[in-house]
Amino acid sequence: MTRLRDSLSRKLTAMNLLVSGGALMLASTALFAYDLVTFRGTLLSGTTIQAQIIAANSVSPLIFNDAKSAEATLSALRTTQHIIYAAVYTLNGEFMAGYWRGQGREPLPLPPFNRESGGFSKFEGEKLDLVQTIDFQGKTVGFVYIRSDLGALSERWRTYGVILLSVLGVSLVAALVLSRIAQRKIARPVLRLAETARQVSREKNYMIRAQLTEDQDEVGLLVESFNDMLHEIQKRDTALQESESQFRVLADSIPQMAWMTDKEGAASWFNRRWYDYTGTTPEEMEGYGWESVHDPEILPKVLATWKNCVRTGQPYEITFPLRGADGNFRLFLTLALPVRDAHGKIVRWFGTNTDVTDQRRSEEALRQTEKLAATGRLAASIAHEINNPLEAVTNLVYLARIQPSNLEKYLKLADQELERIAQITKNTLGFYRDTASPAPVDISEILEEVVALYSRKLNFKRIRLQSEYGDRIVVEGFPGEIRQIFANLLSNAIEAMSEKGRLRIGAKQVHGRGNLTAIPGVRITFLDNGTGIPPERIKKIFEPFYTTKKDVGTGLGLWLTLGLVAKHHGQLRVRSSVRPGRTGTAFSLFLPESQEDSSKDGSGSTTKTEAAS
Amino acid sequence: MMTNWHVLTFPLFPMSDRPKMDSTETPRAAGNRLQGEEGRKIRVIVIDDEALIAETVAEILKQEGFDAVAVSNGLSAIELAEKWSPDVVLSDVIMPGLNGIETGIGIREVAPECKVILFSGQAATVDLLEVAREHGERFDILAKPVRPEQLIAVIRSSFRS
Repeated sequence: MTRLRDSLSRKLTAMNLLVSGGALMLASTALFAYDLVTFRGTLLSGTTIQAQIIAANSVSPLIFNDAKSAEATLSALRTTQHIIYAAVYTLNGEFMAGYWRGQGREPLPLPPFNRESGGFSKFEGEKLDLVQTIDFQGKTVGFVYIRSDLGALSERWRTYGVILLSVLGVSLVAALVLSRIAQRKIARPVLRLAETARQVSREKNYMIRAQLTEDQDEVGLLVESFNDMLHEIQKRDTALQESESQFRVLADSIPQMAWMTDKEGAASWFNRRWYDYTGTTPEEMEGYGWESVHDPEILPKVLATWKNCVRTGQPYEITFPLRGADGNFRLFLTLALPVRDAHGKIVRWFGTNTDVTDQRRSEEALRQTEKLAATGRLAASIAHEINNPLEAVTNLVYLARIQPSNLEKYLKLADQELERIAQITKNTLGFYRDTASPAPVDISEILEEVVALYSRKLNFKRIRLQSEYGDRIVVEGFPGEIRQIFANLLSNAIEAMSEKGRLRIGAKQVHGRGNLTAIPGVRITFLDNGTGIPPERIKKIFEPFYTTKKDVGTGLGLWLTLGLVAKHHGQLRVRSSVRPGRTGTAFSLFLPESQEDSSKDGSGSTTKTEAAS
Repeated sequence: MMTNWHVLTFPLFPMSDRPKMDSTETPRAAGNRLQGEEGRKIRVIVIDDEALIAETVAEILKQEGFDAVAVSNGLSAIELAEKWSPDVVLSDVIMPGLNGIETGIGIREVAPECKVILFSGQAATVDLLEVAREHGERFDILAKPVRPEQLIAVIRSSFRS
């Protein structure tokens, strides 16, 4: 137990002594004062009674002038210590018999007093003089004179004082002993409680309980409340441990790797899957040990991103390769969020790594599939475009053969149709010729080629086309892919429109938006007044396999388009309205002028979807 | 400037300019002349939104001894069929307005005896035919480009059986 400077037991002892000592002092003083006040009265009445008794017994000695008998009566005063002199006098004041305490046998003269009053008493210094008449048959026959010495009183007070002091001393000793007992009753349980509390926090053992006191007092209540609190803490501790173990099980059962770091970003925990995959040990992973499973070439970028997130508290999202126990790298999408306390301060980070290697592969496969499907659709479309003029030529040649008279006319028409076929092959073959590196691309030229390719569809639906672009808007890119982007956007617009729709295609030189603000390029817009895309669907249109054209679409068109836009470090935005009378969709495509500048930042592609209601 | 290949003037064969069917001219092959139910020429309606195709096919059929009329859409064909009782309707599939299958179904309603033959240059047609089959409508289909000899053979064969 610790020594306390202001220990409770010492305070209690001091308090006990002070209270009992004070009370005793007060009581003694009161007694003393009372005694002082009442002493004279008591003395006077006591002496008067004795004088009256003597007076009564002195009648016959006076009458018979028997001094001896009077002396015998007076000698009875021997028992009363404070009376130092008593005597019987005759009526004319002559001394008859006397009593003396101590030395001296001199009779004292009777003090002068009014004889009519029947008696006399007077305090003079420490002396009391009292005269009592001796009456017989209604007549005064003599006097009794008693002198008392109050000096005896001082003696009495001294005794009083001694007694008082002894009582005080004994009381204080008793108080001391009692407070020792009290200390045991109060201080001990409190100190025990403190020790229990220390033990609990030292051992983190919330099963411990403080020993209950026998008494139902405040200390007992305190101990009980303390135990209740411990019980509550134990319950919470158990719940916490359960939740903790649930978390561990969860963290170990998810297919992702998971980890935690402190608020500075140094790793403090990894789930089992992490160790299984990387083949590392917890010791190796301490702090920034995870760097060892990264590709050294990519690590600086990863570290820079991570430290930036730790500094700013922004969510961490990055995809990077991690080396497995077999030495092979796999690609992981890594997400981490800061865990904050009640005051919003970051206390740690929690993150996961999701293996996206297979996903990336299947996405690539999907892209290939869609490229094949697109090629197939294109082939079908080319076949159709060619089949019609071919049909016409076949018929015209047949007619020319059986009707030579109109030969000239049929051949001219056939020639026109053959020219049409030549145009189609010339335009469509552009889709397959692509350069390995970005080359200057004339946007307006490609727009015209694509429009030409779809002119039959446009005419078929009697769509009014409004082209708003000048000549020679040139950007750097892959012409085949840009053609593919335009073709997808244009065919979507046509699909969305019913007969006699209106389509506006515009292109102008601008700067990018959002994170591409500083970059010059071209904005190409496809604005149709078709059915529009409902708000609940607009978010999904860029997802693979999302299609509303079950029979004709693969649902990969816009997803692929977005991929191509991303490859060009461009932006693709869509706004759409389904408000009756004002339906329509606007796709806005931004392509940077140069692939050199924008490729540096590495992430140009953004999509923004808006649905106007 | 966008290229437009479809600047065609209608009618493609103005009456004055139309390759005239000489009424006195004997059809090239007498054996080709086929008779309808009442001994008249077989009546054919040719439908294609591409006028040049509709017109040339109709012209060929006329030259080959059929009574042929070219129309540019399904609705006109159905209206005509109601009045004219054709024996055969030859229709493109992918057209503005009614497509070939819808047209064929409409024709069958107004002229139940009429034979409907479709011709198309698009692979997507196959899916449409599949849908039609599910609804109990069957159509013969020819792939564009159709050689005129083949077309005539198909029409003939349908009357032989």
